[in-house]
Amino acid sequence: MTDTALSLSRKNPGGLGAGPQSRSFIARHPSVLIFIGCLALFTLGVTVLAEGFGVGVISTSFVKTLGKTLCLCLVALAMDLVWGYTGILSLGHMAFFGIGGYAIGMWLMYARTELIVATSLAQSPLPPTPQEISDGIASQIFGVVGASEFPPIWAVAHSLPLQLAAVVLVPGLIALVFGWLAFRSRVTGVYLSILTQAMTLALSLYLFQNDSGLRGNNGLSGLQNLPGLGDVPQSTVSMWFLWASAAALGLGYVFCAWIVSGTFGSVLRAIRDDEARVRFLGYSVEAYKLFIFTVTAIIAGIAGALYYPQAGIINPAEIAPIASIYLAVWVAIGGRGRLYGAVIGAAFVSLLSTWFTGGQAPDINLGVYTIQWVDWWTILLGLSFVAVTLFAPKGIGGLVDLIEARTSPNRHGADLGPDPGALREREADT
Amino acid sequence: MTQLLEVSGVSVSFDGFRAINNLSFQIGKAEMRAVIGPNGAGKTTFMDIITGKTKPDDGSVLWGDKSQSLLKMTESQIAQAGVGRKFQRPTVFEDQSVADNLTLALKKNRGPLSVLRFRAGHADHTKVAEIADEIGLETALHRKAGELSHGQKQWLEIGMLLAQDPQLLLVDEPAAGMTPAEREHTTELLTRAAETRAVVVVEHDMEFVRRLNCRVTVLHEGAVLAEGSLDHVTSDEKVIEVYLGR
Repeated sequence: MTDTALSLSRKNPGGLGAGPQSRSFIARHPSVLIFIGCLALFTLGVTVLAEGFGVGVISTSFVKTLGKTLCLCLVALAMDLVWGYTGILSLGHMAFFGIGGYAIGMWLMYARTELIVATSLAQSPLPPTPQEISDGIASQIFGVVGASEFPPIWAVAHSLPLQLAAVVLVPGLIALVFGWLAFRSRVTGVYLSILTQAMTLALSLYLFQNDSGLRGNNGLSGLQNLPGLGDVPQSTVSMWFLWASAAALGLGYVFCAWIVSGTFGSVLRAIRDDEARVRFLGYSVEAYKLFIFTVTAIIAGIAGALYYPQAGIINPAEIAPIASIYLAVWVAIGGRGRLYGAVIGAAFVSLLSTWFTGGQAPDINLGVYTIQWVDWWTILLGLSFVAVTLFAPKGIGGLVDLIEARTSPNRHGADLGPDPGALREREADT
Repeated sequence: MTQLLEVSGVSVSFDGFRAINNLSFQIGKAEMRAVIGPNGAGKTTFMDIITGKTKPDDGSVLWGDKSQSLLKMTESQIAQAGVGRKFQRPTVFEDQSVADNLTLALKKNRGPLSVLRFRAGHADHTKVAEIADEIGLETALHRKAGELSHGQKQWLEIGMLLAQDPQLLLVDEPAAGMTPAEREHTTELLTRAAETRAVVVVEHDMEFVRRLNCRVTVLHEGAVLAEGSLDHVTSDEKVIEVYLGR
């Protein structure tokens, strides 16, 4: 059967369909350019105002908070891709984030301890053997969990390139195997969410054990100190990480925008809305889900690898299920199904959370009871999540539609089709 | 083999209920066939079996010149092999534009990596515009599919089928909820498609079936009751009994 097999009654109207799609990537997605511009301005602003290279109005700890926030925005992008676009409500993506953090943390801890051990052994009369150095590092790192030997998973911890590869490969492989098992069995909806939740819980519980090889509930610490760069002040290091995080977020944004544009993005949104129909169009839904699940796990791993050196410490509590639920809440509040929504949600909610839980928010004295935000913040967050879900399903990103809607024709909210179930203008206009 | 699709001795039961009972069916390469039957005759299950949604307990479904078995293939593989399906309720992707819906259906490599690299070129836009013209949606290309009327959605789905360029079209009640003028256009679309490919239309409406002017297969209790021209089957004693007897 050739294309011409379809005999056409009317004449071909020519390039009717060649409208907006033949323009360049940036022209079709102006939000990408706007986003990159805002990110560049933000980074420049922080650089000028921070201690490291600027006037010093912003403290180093706040620079770290901002840098961490950028990493959270990056993992929120991954969540939006997997949930907002493809409709897979994964409640386990923070596990991949944590794995990325552990992978980079292992090298940071190993390399820094190696320097300390080498310095202290250098004073002994006999030059230390490699075995002595290795034992010294092991007892330094694993003393807290009563061990003095390297577990097998630390085999490549001495090598930065290999641990950097692990940042990408370990989350990617876990997601690939997990996703293959889950999607092949056509586990969908709430069952898949529970499964991903179980995955992150199992991983977290495993890491809590002292013999897991990653220092149990002590986790990895001192990650803010870069090996061999002890002389560089934290104010400078914090700026390096802020720049790296901003660059990763910018690249991640362009990459995600590229993925969701074109027919691939169309397939993803189609899977979200009616996956059975997509199968009958000849697309292997499972392969697409597996692809997007794995790619987003890798993005999450990279975000984690940039986050934890700024946080300074990682422990198994970081990959408890609640972390992944927060991630879903950020994306929902920001507006899922649009990339800038995820970024806005993650930045807004996590910064607000820092403000409320950091004791900076003024307590409200009601006379009979004082609202202390440290305790009440989670309740406020929960209520706003419920409110957003019920009353503003488009989230904060929906405000952009409100601004744009002024220029589109107003049908006074009338139905768009004759069916009782037809979309209303407000819903269809996303 | 001269047949495009050969279903033989297929049976399937759900919780003891025999939905399809030793059903056999063949269709050639450029043929229109109407499948009629009372409610519960197994028409939809029959389509489910061909498209891989339901696996039968017994029997064989052979496809194409190589007599490939469809039973071991997944839904997406069967669709790629050249079986297109239109559902009873129009199922288009309402959140996406008409152009996006059609582009999604265009016959292309369906692998994730090649779709990721694929960017619709001029030829694709022209093809989409041609199909939109054929289904009467040429002015609605950039509207969201969810904004279309019921009849337009039905046509969009037929357009998506045509974009897939299948060798066999399975069409479930294409004229449901359409005005007489819309029905006429739909008949035209299907008749034209049947010039070059096999089309199976499941329909309740006898008037619409008469207009298709093709061989008719009557299903009853999961098996073929009669087959032939519409006049032949409507004069068949058993068919009259099934349709009017109760």
